[in-house]
Amino acid sequence: MNPARGVGWRRLRFRFDWTLTLSAAAVTTLGLMNLWSAVHDKQSNLFSQQISWLGIGVGVFLAVATVDYRTISRYAYIFHAVGVALLLGVLAFGKMVGGGRRWFELGAFHVQPSELMQLLTAVALGKYLNDSPALEGRTWRHLAIPVLIVSVPAWAIAKQPDFGTAFLLLLVFFTIMLTARLRLRTLGAIVGFATLAAFPIYQHLLHEYQRKRVEAFFNPNSEGAYQTRQALNAIGSGRFLGKGFLHGTQIRLRHFPALWTDFPFAVWAEEWGFVGCFVMLLAYLVLILWILKIAGDARDRFGATVCVGVAAMFFWHVFINVGMVSGLLPVVGVTLPLISYGGSSILTIAAALGLVMNISVRRFSY
Amino acid sequence: MEIAGQDAELPEIRRRSRYFALAVLVGFLVVAGRLFYLQVIEGDTFFRVTSDNIVHTEVLPAVRGQIRDRKGRVMATVRPAYNVYVTPRLLTPEGFARLRAVLGMNGDEAMDVWERVAEVGPNGKPSDRPVLLAEDISREAMAAIETGVDLPGVKIVAGPHRAYPMGMVAAHVLGYMNEISGDELRAKKDEGYHAGDLIGRTGVERQWDGYLRGRAGFKKIVVDRRGMPKPDIHDVIEGPAAQPAVAGNNVILTLDADVQKSAERALRNVSAAGVVALDVNSGRILAMASKPSFDPNEMSGHLTPEAEQRLLADRYHPLHDKTVGETYFPGSTFKVVSAVAALEDRLVTPEDKVKCHGSYEIGRRRFKCTKTHGIVSLYEAIVQSCNVYFYELGARPGMMDRLAKFGGDLGLGAPTGLGLNGEDSGFLPTEEWYREQKRLNPKAEGFQVGQALNAVIGQGSTRVTVLQMALMYAAIANGGKLWLPQIVDRIESPDGQTVEEFAPRVRREISVSPETLAVVRQGLVGVVNERKGTAYRARITDVEVAGKTGTAQVHGRHTELGGYEAGDHAWFVCFAPAGKPRIAVAVLVEHGGHGGDVAAPVAMEIIHNYFENVAPNDRDAPKVGLPKHHLKTLDVEAARP
Repeated sequence: MNPARGVGWRRLRFRFDWTLTLSAAAVTTLGLMNLWSAVHDKQSNLFSQQISWLGIGVGVFLAVATVDYRTISRYAYIFHAVGVALLLGVLAFGKMVGGGRRWFELGAFHVQPSELMQLLTAVALGKYLNDSPALEGRTWRHLAIPVLIVSVPAWAIAKQPDFGTAFLLLLVFFTIMLTARLRLRTLGAIVGFATLAAFPIYQHLLHEYQRKRVEAFFNPNSEGAYQTRQALNAIGSGRFLGKGFLHGTQIRLRHFPALWTDFPFAVWAEEWGFVGCFVMLLAYLVLILWILKIAGDARDRFGATVCVGVAAMFFWHVFINVGMVSGLLPVVGVTLPLISYGGSSILTIAAALGLVMNISVRRFSY
Repeated sequence: MEIAGQDAELPEIRRRSRYFALAVLVGFLVVAGRLFYLQVIEGDTFFRVTSDNIVHTEVLPAVRGQIRDRKGRVMATVRPAYNVYVTPRLLTPEGFARLRAVLGMNGDEAMDVWERVAEVGPNGKPSDRPVLLAEDISREAMAAIETGVDLPGVKIVAGPHRAYPMGMVAAHVLGYMNEISGDELRAKKDEGYHAGDLIGRTGVERQWDGYLRGRAGFKKIVVDRRGMPKPDIHDVIEGPAAQPAVAGNNVILTLDADVQKSAERALRNVSAAGVVALDVNSGRILAMASKPSFDPNEMSGHLTPEAEQRLLADRYHPLHDKTVGETYFPGSTFKVVSAVAALEDRLVTPEDKVKCHGSYEIGRRRFKCTKTHGIVSLYEAIVQSCNVYFYELGARPGMMDRLAKFGGDLGLGAPTGLGLNGEDSGFLPTEEWYREQKRLNPKAEGFQVGQALNAVIGQGSTRVTVLQMALMYAAIANGGKLWLPQIVDRIESPDGQTVEEFAPRVRREISVSPETLAVVRQGLVGVVNERKGTAYRARITDVEVAGKTGTAQVHGRHTELGGYEAGDHAWFVCFAPAGKPRIAVAVLVEHGGHGGDVAAPVAMEIIHNYFENVAPNDRDAPKVGLPKHHLKTLDVEAARP
């Protein structure tokens, strides 16, 4: 065993990646302020719960960062298999909430494995790409295993049904494969096929409420557009400087379904205006670009692939979430990383950032 | 397992991840651009939408001003009324049945109300918002509801209600109110009207609405999605959060409630009539009555469909103001205009005489007189209302236009300027008008002398309003001042300070010589005081009255039908005391018959009561008396063939 692996904690202390940590902490702080504003005048323990999750998240982050990622990569497929098993467990025993099975109860907690599955998929893909180099670029022939890795969880998530998360998983997958020398022609063929498949999926597989959301996007006056309209009102009414911290009105006075999980950005935009939105997006941007920098500095394909995967998770989550809240995209249940309320999301992100930190501190060890 | 450092794929991954970084940047720029559009470019629009959504403006109604008579007696005021509101979600069918019994709703009303109450909102449940079920319920009903058990969701809320304490007195002058319509609301948005407001419909309530209504205040409160108030949030409200209502001003009328009541009482024996009594020396209206009347209390918020139907179907048209809104043939009351025209244009002198055979022939037509008067001067022609004398004047060339000219000068043929209740201008025909009619309709006669003969005795196409006649006689009485009629004396603030005062305004000094007016006035004194005068039987002894009777024939389709509508209109227009005129009274009784028998007693009763109870000090005046010379000239019996 490489002696370097045994001193993970020391390595972490000496090469600690402050940019990564601080930019993530910045986003988290904005998120906490936002949650406080949304719940401070209500009988609610969401804020303290979120603090607890973040506390646990810090632990997960440090734990994942300490163990050498190469050790982790060895068990990548096993982790992935466990994740898939959890998903299937959700399908079989999950709690029916709002027309879908998305989590099951573990003691007092709701475990929602679909978020975690994105990270596990990125790790498994990293393992696969690391183990099977393809110097000529990857074509159809090299896609069999990766497709297997992504399609089983994607199917299980879509079955819950949670098309938003399933779609996000596919986006992360494509992003990883694209950076992993997938040939453009191959990618083009896949995208073409997916477009053709989209129509029958929309017609036959989507649930009524999902179709309504899509229709709402194209027709803002339909009944399904309530959330979107409320979100647009909240965002737009923030104007340039916002209504001020704790002075948002839409959020406090209007009924807002899925506010803490899917629409926190609307709260932020209303209270802090365009300036606040810009700051938040900037914090995310710094974090994502830094993760991609770590990907570029990684000493092996596993590290690079996982970092790209984590960056893709962040990017697509933020892009789709803000896009849907601001009416650019249909409403899909996608969380805003580090800001949305919810243990599963926070712990997944904490683990992902832990991995990135892990890769960052070990970029020079050979 | 890994061959670190020898990985040929790493540089490629690095390169591609840089492209991904670029894509991330572009994605963020797109999102930021969208946010810029929403928040900076369209921000103000969204801001307005959101504040409209959450700021609920509660209207604080202003207390409407009172209408009082010239002595401060309240004729229209605001009293508290009790209105029943129900919260549909809480109301049970049993509760509704009880409510229905207490409020005495009939089947149809109950159905309507129940449909309104049972209507479900967008969430499929009956509303949480209280609905107004019944307004101004009786004390008994209120007691029954208040003490009643098991009426969930029912509450009684006090609100202001317009009330007219004198009931039907001066109903047409006061007018009535009802709810503003959607169209009016849109048209008057900037004047501060709100949905559900009552607006003056007729009379002073309508004409002086702007003074009476005051200004509604408001209170802005922040509400959540369910409409529940959130008193702790107020930073959303732009501008003042509340503004108190300003009570309306009181309108003080020139009307005297005593004279008004006396006028209405004097009409007790007739079916349909209009009366105007005014101050000869200011044009201020003392009484203005139109019979039949209506109860403005009923019209303002208590009008049932049956009652409305009854009012509209009434053959005497209770809602119509017969003093200004209707025109009539003036009949013989118009002869003062003919006399003035003839004297002023020197067609006759007061001494000229005409022999009356009971009719007047011109061409192949015969124009009848009331009876055979023998040889009459202008004085006797006025006193006895001899048509033949005036036919003779009518036959003079240009008489028609002369009547139009002097009639117009005396205020006929044009609105008086009172402005109340859709005032009609009346009509004075000219020769040109008749010729115009012929051009428009070849079957019409065009101008013929016969038309002038009709016009000269106030028939034909001549139309006047009761108010015009009162003003004209007042001008003759006061020596030539044609007043602008005045119904509002002043405006007072709610605490009694005078805000605005209206002085009498002369509409025109009529261009008739004092001598002519004196001759006409002498004639009018004779009408009442000569034994042969047409109003002699109605005369009163305590005050010397001067006036003219009129019996206007009605033509048109009713004449053939016979019955009530075929009867003549009875007129009497007068002023008193003749020697120092104070009050002018015009009485018209629709289809009442002879002016001297029907209209004159009404006027006399009003005048008697006026000087008896209201202005006893004004009664004393020098007597005009009857002219001495007429005794020797008026040997009518001897002159009869």
